[in-house]
Amino acid sequence: MQPIHANQDHGGPALETAGLTKRFGDRVAVDDVSLSVPRGTAYGFLGHNGAGKTTLIRMLLGLTGISEGSVSVLGLPVPAERARALARVGAIVEEPSFYPHLTGRENLRIAAAVRSPEARSRVDGALHRVGLEKRAEDRVGTYSLGMRQRLGLARCLLSDPELLVLDEPMNGLDPGGMLDMRMMIRSLVEEDGRTVFISSHLLDEVEKTCEAAAIIDRGRVIAQGPIGELVAEGAGELIIECDDTDRALALLAGEPTVRDLRREGRGLRMKLHGPAQAGQINAQLVTAGVTVTRLEPVRRSLEERFLEMTTRLEVAA
Amino acid sequence: MTAQVTVGRQMVWAELLRLRKKRGLMALVLAVVLGPLVVWTGYSVIEHASNPAHYGPAGGLEHYGRMLSLLGVFMGPVAAVLIGAEAGAGDLAAGVFRDNVLTGRSRLALFLARIPAALAVTFAATGVAFAFGLAVTYAFAGALATPSLSVVLESAAWLALANGLVCVIAIGAASLSGSRPGTITAFVAWELVLSPLLVQSASLGSLRRGLLDGALLFLKPGPGGGQPTIPMPVAVAIIVLAAWLLVLPTLGAWRMRTRDA
Repeated sequence: MQPIHANQDHGGPALETAGLTKRFGDRVAVDDVSLSVPRGTAYGFLGHNGAGKTTLIRMLLGLTGISEGSVSVLGLPVPAERARALARVGAIVEEPSFYPHLTGRENLRIAAAVRSPEARSRVDGALHRVGLEKRAEDRVGTYSLGMRQRLGLARCLLSDPELLVLDEPMNGLDPGGMLDMRMMIRSLVEEDGRTVFISSHLLDEVEKTCEAAAIIDRGRVIAQGPIGELVAEGAGELIIECDDTDRALALLAGEPTVRDLRREGRGLRMKLHGPAQAGQINAQLVTAGVTVTRLEPVRRSLEERFLEMTTRLEVAA
Repeated sequence: MTAQVTVGRQMVWAELLRLRKKRGLMALVLAVVLGPLVVWTGYSVIEHASNPAHYGPAGGLEHYGRMLSLLGVFMGPVAAVLIGAEAGAGDLAAGVFRDNVLTGRSRLALFLARIPAALAVTFAATGVAFAFGLAVTYAFAGALATPSLSVVLESAAWLALANGLVCVIAIGAASLSGSRPGTITAFVAWELVLSPLLVQSASLGSLRRGLLDGALLFLKPGPGGGQPTIPMPVAVAIIVLAAWLLVLPTLGAWRMRTRDA
């Protein structure tokens, strides 16, 4: 399969929403969501089950109406230019479904028939790309969930899409399957230059797969940006180990730049007002004759950050 | 435009592949159209062999007329309903409808592609049964009269009309309801129980002209085959058939366009 020519038309975002809202009666499922997904990246869309991820994806793809706001897919407004936009999009919404009585190859040939005259010539390449060529003649009814997910990805590739929208692609996969899926997604981005928009509640996988992400909670996007920034935001925790923990604890207890100081394992854990403070703390301890054996900024996972943000909102509510 | 035609052809081919590869359905369809014919023929042959003075030959014109009724208003339509229901709601049942919609392809085009594919399968199944019935008509005619070539050709056209109509109506109904079992149950009950009863209910008078089977039986060529014929002008029969052909498929197409994917 040939790599697509990324950014072949306008250079704007692959996906853009402004004030996107979806109401079901009085219930607001998606509330004033504004997203911008840069081209040529893997972009995660994180949220608990029921947070509004699938509803937003359904609006992006024109599967359900928009109550308020606007959507642009590859520079084309949806739903006004839905057909043109979707011709360059591959998507799996909720779970990939196939005719179980047909083989993997037959399912792809049927899917290709609906797409374009050229799509049929991409069937073999797509099967090879997802590593299913050896099982292509088996009925899909005999496939595992992981194989169906891969076949779903192959189906997406039939239209040689610039943008892939994958709703919970890791759902139900074993660790090996997740690794395969992650590598496939990365290759689609890095080798082909495609944009991949992934919704997931598996935070660790999104952190490993995506460059950027948005976090949705109860229909509202509460944070978005590069993964590094999302994780770093609010960071500044430090772990110190030294030869005299009691003395270090006494010294740092009166330090105004340190808060939430506590023992943890063989050392101390504390929050600082800024990353530059770590050097000062080290200097202060060394000056006081304490030998520092470990000084490590705490790197929080996206999962911790996500839970912190969503918990904070729950408390506020 | 050429690309659109190519895609349209591809879509019909895809629907055809999907239907014909459903082996259980194909076996059931053949069993429905051929089974009763084979059993009835075998029974008639044995009857005639055991007592030729009392039972006539298994073939001939009378056999032909009954065979046409069986294939045109009973078992043929049941097979057409099985095929039409699968064509109309098979993608919904498998969950593939959403994927088809996600391609951006017109939903009306998706609906229309089902019709030629389902008709091709219906005609193939009915054709096999008709060929068998025709062979029996001539092979076991004995001294009885046999249908002329023109009657055979008219009958083939009538069978195509009768089964094709039911197939398209079933596609519409299945697309409208989104349910294969529901469509099959309703139509089989209609074709095998309700419709024959209503056609024979003289108390309904001219209202029976509105029945699909009433109009079809009126247009049936050749011998009667034991079925009552409701007198009506040809134009009325054509209008009745056109109305049946338009209503449910139009509703099915509308539902397909508005259905939440």
